[in-house]
Amino acid sequence: MTMTVLTGINWNVTFSIFFIVLIASIAVYSWVVPQGNKRWWGLALLLSVLVLVALQPVSELVRMLLLDAASFVAVALVWGQSLLAAKAAKTYLWLLILAVLCVGAGLYLAGILGGAALTQPGIVETRLVVGLLIVGFAIKFALFPLYFWLPNVAKTTSPMTTVLIVGILDIAEFVELASLRLTIPWVFDGYKILWLILALISMFGGALMALAQRDLKRMLAFSTIDDMGYLLLGVLIGSSMGFTGAMIGALCHALFKVMLFGSVGIAEKGSGGPITLDNRGLSSRFPISGAAFIIGALGIIGIPPLFGFVGRWRLYLAGIQYGGIGLGLAMAGASALTIIYYVRAIHKVWLGPQQEDGPVTKKEPKIAVIVLIVLIAAALFLGLFPGFVFRQV
Amino acid sequence: MSVLAVIPMAALLLGVIIQLTCGHFFSRRVKGWLAFICCLVGFAAIMTMIPTISSGKVIDVTLFSWDKSLPFQYHIDGLSIIFALIATGIGSAVLLYSVAYMAHEQDGVTRFYALMLVFIAGFVNLVCSGNLLLIYFSWEVIGLCSYFLVGFWYKESKSVNGARKVLIMTHIPGYGLLIAVLLLFSRSGTFLWTDPNLVVSFTTGIFLLMLFAAMAKSVMYPLHTWIPEAMNAPTPVSALLHSACYVTAGVYLIARMYSFSVPGIHWPMAWNTLIMIIGCITMVVGALFAIKQTDLKRLLAFSTISQLGYIIAGLGLGTSFGVAAALFYCFSHGLFKGTLFLCAGAVQQATGTRDMSKLGGLAKVMPNTSRIWIVVTAAIVGVPLTNGFVAKWFLYDAALASGQWIVLIIAWLVSTLTAFYMLKATVSVFYGDMPDWLKQHQVKEAPFLMQMGMAVLAILCIIFGLAPQILTQWVIAPGVKALGFSWNLSFTWLGIQTTSNSFYGAAGVAIVVLALVIGWIIYRLMQPRAISSPSANVFTGGDPLPADDSVGTVDFADLAESSFQPIYKAVDPDPAYLLAWTGIKKLSSVTHRILQSIEDHPFISTIILAVILFSVVWLI
Repeated sequence: MTMTVLTGINWNVTFSIFFIVLIASIAVYSWVVPQGNKRWWGLALLLSVLVLVALQPVSELVRMLLLDAASFVAVALVWGQSLLAAKAAKTYLWLLILAVLCVGAGLYLAGILGGAALTQPGIVETRLVVGLLIVGFAIKFALFPLYFWLPNVAKTTSPMTTVLIVGILDIAEFVELASLRLTIPWVFDGYKILWLILALISMFGGALMALAQRDLKRMLAFSTIDDMGYLLLGVLIGSSMGFTGAMIGALCHALFKVMLFGSVGIAEKGSGGPITLDNRGLSSRFPISGAAFIIGALGIIGIPPLFGFVGRWRLYLAGIQYGGIGLGLAMAGASALTIIYYVRAIHKVWLGPQQEDGPVTKKEPKIAVIVLIVLIAAALFLGLFPGFVFRQV
Repeated sequence: MSVLAVIPMAALLLGVIIQLTCGHFFSRRVKGWLAFICCLVGFAAIMTMIPTISSGKVIDVTLFSWDKSLPFQYHIDGLSIIFALIATGIGSAVLLYSVAYMAHEQDGVTRFYALMLVFIAGFVNLVCSGNLLLIYFSWEVIGLCSYFLVGFWYKESKSVNGARKVLIMTHIPGYGLLIAVLLLFSRSGTFLWTDPNLVVSFTTGIFLLMLFAAMAKSVMYPLHTWIPEAMNAPTPVSALLHSACYVTAGVYLIARMYSFSVPGIHWPMAWNTLIMIIGCITMVVGALFAIKQTDLKRLLAFSTISQLGYIIAGLGLGTSFGVAAALFYCFSHGLFKGTLFLCAGAVQQATGTRDMSKLGGLAKVMPNTSRIWIVVTAAIVGVPLTNGFVAKWFLYDAALASGQWIVLIIAWLVSTLTAFYMLKATVSVFYGDMPDWLKQHQVKEAPFLMQMGMAVLAILCIIFGLAPQILTQWVIAPGVKALGFSWNLSFTWLGIQTTSNSFYGAAGVAIVVLALVIGWIIYRLMQPRAISSPSANVFTGGDPLPADDSVGTVDFADLAESSFQPIYKAVDPDPAYLLAWTGIKKLSSVTHRILQSIEDHPFISTIILAVILFSVVWLI
């Protein structure tokens, strides 16, 4: 069974269109808010092409190779940014090699790379495959507690570099994981409790760590970890509802991460330094960026009428159908933590009176602002009329 | 008829689109008029539905497929009409008031009107929707509007702090509604609350989850503490959201829950008891806290908490009469409390403060505002000839008829407290001597449009006080019937119920009212033409006060503070919330500290954790 058959939506087409729009937005934004030199542009283009090709109907082996190649391009993208970024890239590289080896070995043992997938191997092979895949994907998606590469990558690189990694590359890898859920279901079905715990730990751990951050980009990195927990939960449950919720959630994650990192990027450029919880009243100087951050945060939490809700209610429903009211309440608890740390950032950094001794700032670049406004409008339109999108795909 | 059902939403959303796309070209006043007209069109469309609904019909419309196979479906019945009328009717008056009120606002006027219209549209959608998921959708849309409107002055600390509290305290309990809706769906296979399959799936757990969400929206104790902080919003926001609409969303949900079940069969008595207990506690706590306030809008906010307690207690009675009383009260509260907020806004705009300890004697310089204030204060206190009297009368009668003596006694006692704090506000703001600083301030009467907005609502308070049968027959009765209750009540002038044993009592009250009116007329005819000073002579317990001194707001507040201090401390839930927040922060810090040391050695840490994870897989 494929995801299209299970959910009635052609996800390859949906993700391809969505990513093209987002990559175009990133490109326009990066044109006016520089993210790196010519090398950066080349690598970013290469990463985007690799991901877009991987989303087309190709064999599992080819897809895996393309996405792994894209991951190493992402390392190069980070490496070239600064000395601190190079250090973060080094960690990313080592952990990525470990993850690629684990996932590659796991898929090979599962028969995916050799041709036909195994239907139900023996107990030892099953454990080996499950162990390798859990570890590999946990590192790739920076699931809690194997998240170590992500926060420093986010902190030390330009915002759109991080978006290319967590919003485009990671989401494409997530689609790959979702596809594996259907190809080798035994990896998940026999070990649901373990995957579930991993998902819940990511939700709560990511949220708690996000609350402890002072640097906004690090906070957003932990928010990614938090969000990946929900997406993993949807795929793990394996129902049509869970899959659809996870896939829409993945689209939302990509969209809102562009808005969140984009607004922080504009504020960083305007104030000439990193944005932390010590900044005050940035909305007075960067009103559209402030609005985009708020909308991005509300969208990622899944508050109506934004697009995030369309995925989030399905994930909740899948959770309730699988784990009853207990799991539903746990998810709500994690969402409550999410809203707490986002609202804290919004109210400390963006809203309220301006810092009197704050740095001299430049205005918001008009073109970047237009990109953010278009994305806000898209998030609203998709949230108000999701049926329109589903009918097209 | 299906076209009519779409008109309110279409008009309101059209208004939003015009504001956002063409707002740049309009003056602030034009934006206000545009918003008012859009809302008025919506109100007119809802009015035209009343004959159909009161004849016992419902309006079912499926507009489009909202999300895959989920229909965007309206099911408009008597209950929907009551709340839609409140939203668009009071909304229109408030928007008319806003034309003048917002005329001096430099920034964000387009944002203000767009959000107000989205809020009203969201509320109408909430009460008209037949789809539970869309009810939650609208529930959160109005929540977001409230957040953005409370934080309208987003460069001011007070506003954004209030907004933060509003979002946190209403959104998180809102998950209760979402989980309840999804549980209902997973058990019954439908999101349509009109589906009969829903009845057997509606269990105590689901009821409690919905009640939790409703409590936060409708400022029920102990989830009420956000509303006083929301008072730093522009006054039209307080008038529409925090008295008439937003806070009644929870009332709507609790009332609507009767539709999901069969009262008496799938609706246990324990649920009613719980609702009544919450209502009674809320009305007492709200009134006690209102007494000690010196900020006019905060006083009204606590008063809203108390008044909503009445409404919820009425719903909890679980009888036809009780529900009718609650719905009538809800409608009336929207009218008089909305007007009180508008008057408070007029005072604040004229004087630059809402601190009652700094105000006084405004009746001389703002005569029309003070007259309107007096009328609506009479209504909230429950003076005969106003809708507030009828509302309270219905509620007492309903409590009496259903044998709920405790509700009756508490409601009666709280009415006394209501009279106490409203008298305090009235005297402090409008009577006595005007402070010197205010004399230099050159206070002027509110602009004509603001007066109009207030006057329309105040006049309705009197109309529905004199002839409540207009409302009960055409609006309340269909609402009660929509919830599955029978309607065998009949009301006449002044709210005298002709079908219950209280008829003779009511007739007695009417005679008393008549005697009071005659007494007042005689008093007015006999009193000397010129009154030297409006200040009242009071017994101080000792030597008389100097001529320029009198008992004021601070004295009242101090008295309340000292008398009820232990109660204030014991019933304030905010310290508990603060404790929870501190606990979460501490947990977050501890987690961060532990993981920070691991994060410094990422590779080795990852290897160790990977081995542990691998071992767990092996052991399962």
